[in-house]
Amino acid sequence: MNDMIRTDNLSRTYGSGAVATHALRGANLAIPKGSFTCIVGPSGHGKSTLLHLVGGLDRPTTGTVHIGGVELTSLDSSALARLRGSKIGFVFQFFNLLRTLTASENIATAMMLAGVPARQQAERARELLERVGLAEKAGARPGELSGGQQQRVAIARALANDPDLLLPDEPTGNLDSEAEAGIIALLHDLHRRGKTVVVVTHNHEIAQQAERIITVRDGRIAA
Amino acid sequence: MTLTRLVLKNLTCRRGRFIFTLLGITIGIASVVSFLSLGGSLKSEIRRESAALGANLVVTPKGSCAYEQVSILTGEQLPTTITADEVARVQEIDGLTALPFLAERTAIRNRPVGVMGILPAETLRFKGWQVTRGDYFPDTEAAGAVLGAIVADQFDLAPGGEVTIRGERLPILGVLKETGGKDDLTIFVALTTAQRLYNQGDRVSYLAVRVADIDQVDAYAEKIKEAVSLGVVSDKQMLKSVLSIVGTVNITLQLIAAVAVLAAAFGIINTMLTATYERKREIGILLALGARRRTIFTLFLLESAIYGVLGGLAGAVTGLLFSTLAAPHITQNAFTAFVSGSGAVGPASVGVILGAVVFSAVIAMLAGVYPAWRAARLAPVEAISYE
Repeated sequence: MNDMIRTDNLSRTYGSGAVATHALRGANLAIPKGSFTCIVGPSGHGKSTLLHLVGGLDRPTTGTVHIGGVELTSLDSSALARLRGSKIGFVFQFFNLLRTLTASENIATAMMLAGVPARQQAERARELLERVGLAEKAGARPGELSGGQQQRVAIARALANDPDLLLPDEPTGNLDSEAEAGIIALLHDLHRRGKTVVVVTHNHEIAQQAERIITVRDGRIAA
Repeated sequence: MTLTRLVLKNLTCRRGRFIFTLLGITIGIASVVSFLSLGGSLKSEIRRESAALGANLVVTPKGSCAYEQVSILTGEQLPTTITADEVARVQEIDGLTALPFLAERTAIRNRPVGVMGILPAETLRFKGWQVTRGDYFPDTEAAGAVLGAIVADQFDLAPGGEVTIRGERLPILGVLKETGGKDDLTIFVALTTAQRLYNQGDRVSYLAVRVADIDQVDAYAEKIKEAVSLGVVSDKQMLKSVLSIVGTVNITLQLIAAVAVLAAAFGIINTMLTATYERKREIGILLALGARRRTIFTLFLLESAIYGVLGGLAGAVTGLLFSTLAAPHITQNAFTAFVSGSGAVGPASVGVILGAVVFSAVIAMLAGVYPAWRAARLAPVEAISYE
């Protein structure tokens, strides 16, 4: 029971009949708590599908996912949403910040959805921005931030409700090499502080520094 | 951060769309409010005028229809007249008092004002008027004018001054106490003066008849019809036929208002549906951050409701402003003659504003249900992957 993530025979098929696309076929995984794992593989071979299933953003066609001992497929959409909000932190390639909100408000929104009272939100948002080195950008909107800064805000937002599991999907795919190094360092720092990190990446540098590498090819997990 | 704050941020960051959608619902609610307040005051005003007329029967020119009946209540000119001979024959009938009136129009500073030719002493008794300033007509032939309270106020006229009618300057004799009816908006002159000024010879517009025995009203109506070839209607008939016209006008106005509100509601549906497409990714982000479907639904419904509340407020204020400020300036006719008599914006308008806001919010939320439902049923992974 020391696994953060366990999947059994996990499959995801889009469409049906002749047009069915098998994005993932029978994936069996066990990722220990506190580990730093990279999912690598060619584009369109099912890496992101795996990450979405593990993160409870999508539901499998067959098979099961356990996160910290909780079986996701048995949860209704509301319970699944609660779990996403409290146990999982997503980071996306295109940052996915809400562009009408400031950096601080983006982080506060994640806390609001988890039911954190408004008064505590600002304080914690400030701490998190400090942690990612952007304390002075609290009032900036995404449009006023560089790509690297936006991704730091996105990571701070992913940490808003202190989740155990971080799921960055190509977090450096849209950044220059300087910003990329900063983000990689930040992810490693979070790992050292006890977070379980499962990152989908094409980036060799990240992959080389990972404790474990999982390769996804043609919807299957390669040895 | 709160849900409401998130919604307000969204609205204010899309100002153009926000303003135009808001304008739609504002116009819809404004038309409902102004039409309802115009139509409502119209009905109550007609009832009051009918009572103020103080007549059991009204004798009108032959062939007079509902339009003339409205005109009598509003003090409009009638297209045809009654001759002195006919007046005399009605007055000869036992057991009734028949008073002739000649309804004409003039203008003061380019604003239309009713002029009524009356038999001074008889009309004073008949109507139970009181004079607040100056004096009343000293005799039947007296040259001069007695003014309704609002006319005196509106044009700053007082006894000792003069008023010009058809190029002739008449001394102002006195001002009547406010009656709350259209008499307040009328200039009264002696019947003979009015007939001379308007070249009517000895003709009059209509006769107001009061009968001795109210139970015999129908019998008197028959007697009058035997004596002269004129139209005779009882006050109740007149009220009924006028109210039926007003009712039709009201229904038409309400239909127009309903169409305006419906168009506004579709405006909201359209805006919010577009928003669910445009903001698909935003919905996906919120879902990934742990938003429940219910939260997404609330978020979108709240946005619609804000359109409704703000549009309702703006619409109610615009509608009330329009019905009180603009209505009296519209060319005088049977419709607005009533409206101009009751420009009261009192405590009642607080109720109108509240009602409009609630109505508008309910309509907006109903319009918002479908878009909100669509937004809430988006699959997280589909929404977050939307380019």
